[in-house]
Amino acid sequence: MLKPKQMSRLLIAASRDQMTPVVTELYRHHLFHIEEYVEGGKAGYEGFKIGTPLSGASEVSIDLLKIRAIENAVSINADDMDPAQSGTRAELKARIERELPVLANEVEELTQKRGKLENKVKEFEQKITEITPFADIPADLSVYRGYRDFTVYAGYVAKEVSLSVPNEMQFVKGKEKNFVVIVALSAQKGEVERALQEAAYQSVQIPDETGSPQERIRFYTEQAAALNKEIAGLSAKLDAVRQQHAGFMVACEEYLRAEAEKSEAPLRFATTKQTFVAEGWVPSDKVEEISAALVKATGGRVFVDVLPMDLEHDNVPVEYSNPQFAKPAQMLMDVYSRPKYTEIDPTLMLAIVFPVFFGIIVGDVGYGLIFLAMCLGLQRMMKGEDGQMFLKVLRNASISSIIFGLLFNEFLGFELTQVVGWVLGFGGVPNLIHGYAGFIMPSRHLLIGATEAGGHGPAIPALMIMAIWIGILHITLGRVLGMYNHAKQDHGEHRTKTVMANFGWLAVMWGILVAIWSNVAMPYMPDLTGLPVVAAGFTLGTFIGAALILVGVICIARDSVLEVIELPTIISHVLSYARLVAVGLSSVAIAMVVNYMAIGMFISPGMKELSIVGIVMIVVGLVIFLFGHTLNVALGLLGGGLHSIRLHYVEFFTKFYKGGGIRYVPFGMKRKFTEE
Amino acid sequence: MAVEAVAVATTDLASIQASQMGMKAIGAGLAVGLTGVGTGVAEMGIGAAAVGAIAENKDFFGLGLLFTVIPETIVIFGLVVGLLLLF
Repeated sequence: MLKPKQMSRLLIAASRDQMTPVVTELYRHHLFHIEEYVEGGKAGYEGFKIGTPLSGASEVSIDLLKIRAIENAVSINADDMDPAQSGTRAELKARIERELPVLANEVEELTQKRGKLENKVKEFEQKITEITPFADIPADLSVYRGYRDFTVYAGYVAKEVSLSVPNEMQFVKGKEKNFVVIVALSAQKGEVERALQEAAYQSVQIPDETGSPQERIRFYTEQAAALNKEIAGLSAKLDAVRQQHAGFMVACEEYLRAEAEKSEAPLRFATTKQTFVAEGWVPSDKVEEISAALVKATGGRVFVDVLPMDLEHDNVPVEYSNPQFAKPAQMLMDVYSRPKYTEIDPTLMLAIVFPVFFGIIVGDVGYGLIFLAMCLGLQRMMKGEDGQMFLKVLRNASISSIIFGLLFNEFLGFELTQVVGWVLGFGGVPNLIHGYAGFIMPSRHLLIGATEAGGHGPAIPALMIMAIWIGILHITLGRVLGMYNHAKQDHGEHRTKTVMANFGWLAVMWGILVAIWSNVAMPYMPDLTGLPVVAAGFTLGTFIGAALILVGVICIARDSVLEVIELPTIISHVLSYARLVAVGLSSVAIAMVVNYMAIGMFISPGMKELSIVGIVMIVVGLVIFLFGHTLNVALGLLGGGLHSIRLHYVEFFTKFYKGGGIRYVPFGMKRKFTEE
Repeated sequence: MAVEAVAVATTDLASIQASQMGMKAIGAGLAVGLTGVGTGVAEMGIGAAAVGAIAENKDFFGLGLLFTVIPETIVIFGLVVGLLLLF
């Protein structure tokens, strides 16, 4: 929690003949993050060379390429398939030897045939397009060529061509461009070409065919159709192959991939003639387990040791360590950057605050329920891990929207209590036309389409100040974390300076706040205007605020003078949290406008008079209602999600978070289709 | 005479108030609209560059998004000003 999983640096050394059992054991445990050995890079490794692949590596790679080609040809994606075991390792190995070459041949033959036919179809189609312009000219295609003294011009022109020399011309008027065929004496070429140029002539290739153009087109169309039928047959055959062997193919790929990865592992080890050394990272609580397993697998002929860590220079891989509910938020962290091993991992804060922000922005029971239904529906359809994580983030956010919807008293832009009353039968039809108060949270109800006087408008000042308070607290938290991170990561004088600089930013922010509070009384904020006046008409609070600002600026400047020009961002970052209210209000406004247009302008008048016109009006109203709310759902998702995450990325993370940690990629794989 | 003057004055007052409301609404509209244009212009270049960078390297997505939405603050300021004018 708040820290990545603790890692230990592990060194494994053994003689070369123990390479296979060691690699197999490491692969099986899926815990060892190999640190690649670079030749000549490190002290103490003089004379070591990069290892060579285990025996059988090239065969496995060839098989792997084959199976991948087949999977591509029949378009199978392992991510889209449910995990299922298919036989033991030995069975699979035997099947690969027996069936893979056959299967590969079959699929290759089919795809090659299909490719050839497809090329032919393309050829025919090309011919058809070539002949098509000539279709309207009643002449055999053979008459267009084979002259000694005449030249044939065929092509498109913008307008009619008039020639002063003897010629034979066929003109076909088209919608956009006209087609012309001219036969004239080669001797008068210049004259003809000039006239054609005037008419913006674009030449067309004369098809190498004989017979009437109409007939030739018909012929080629028939040919292409026949080929297409054949292609469909081949595709059906490939489909059948896929249906039949899909399970085998994915299992096969997984098995071969594992084998390939295993046999190529020595490429990342340091080796001498007789021995090899592998360095890497293992979660500290697993060191015992993996050392014991290695000793057991090699019969004690291995040396395993935990090396000391050098936090400043080692690139420690980072694995998240979060409680279950916060895990989906790791995806949002990875989009930004994985935390460094030495810094605070803010995933937990993100996992809590992101849904809250989303809820404040959307804050509508109806939309929350729609999001939730969408998530649960998509969760069944999506198979990839990232997609599932994303949907879980969205699920938490939509639950939060429902909670905040209750607090805001909103349901699709209506008043929630009114809707509930109507459904339970003790209230009238929700009339949307009067304002209402929020429940606990300030009201966001705008007076759109209000007909009753004295309606309750939105509590803008209260909402704004709520947002500003959230901003102040969030940024303060960020700066405090920044102080902690710098205290942990930096050394000596630099450390004091950076910690003080972070304190300085906090001091300036709170100084500005104290100064404002001392001069202006604001609702929901401390009122310091009552403090005694000290000098020049300014109260004590103003001076305290000014002093804080001064101290803060000095602290910042001591670390870096250039940073001082960034001071205005304090105000802009705090005010930026106003988007929580602003984006939310715009979503409420859209919902209410849609309701007003649908119900106030169409459905209600239509209900009064149930004639044909009335029914049409009701239908139009329903369409507007559905379309408008669909649009608002999409906007709510975009606005709510993007703005909440942006507040984290831009306003919160910039205060303390650096990121750039290496992902922990343990050697091994999560098996879906094969056994260990 | 006096009664008439008062009547004229009240209608004047009402119309003045109404026109003041109108001016506020125009101001709010300008605040949101112009800042929206400003944000759009600012995000145009950043967004284009970010998409280019993401096409080269997908890892840039988070950072690209971050840079692209930085000018968004401008329009939020506009909205804040608009809301403060109206309410």
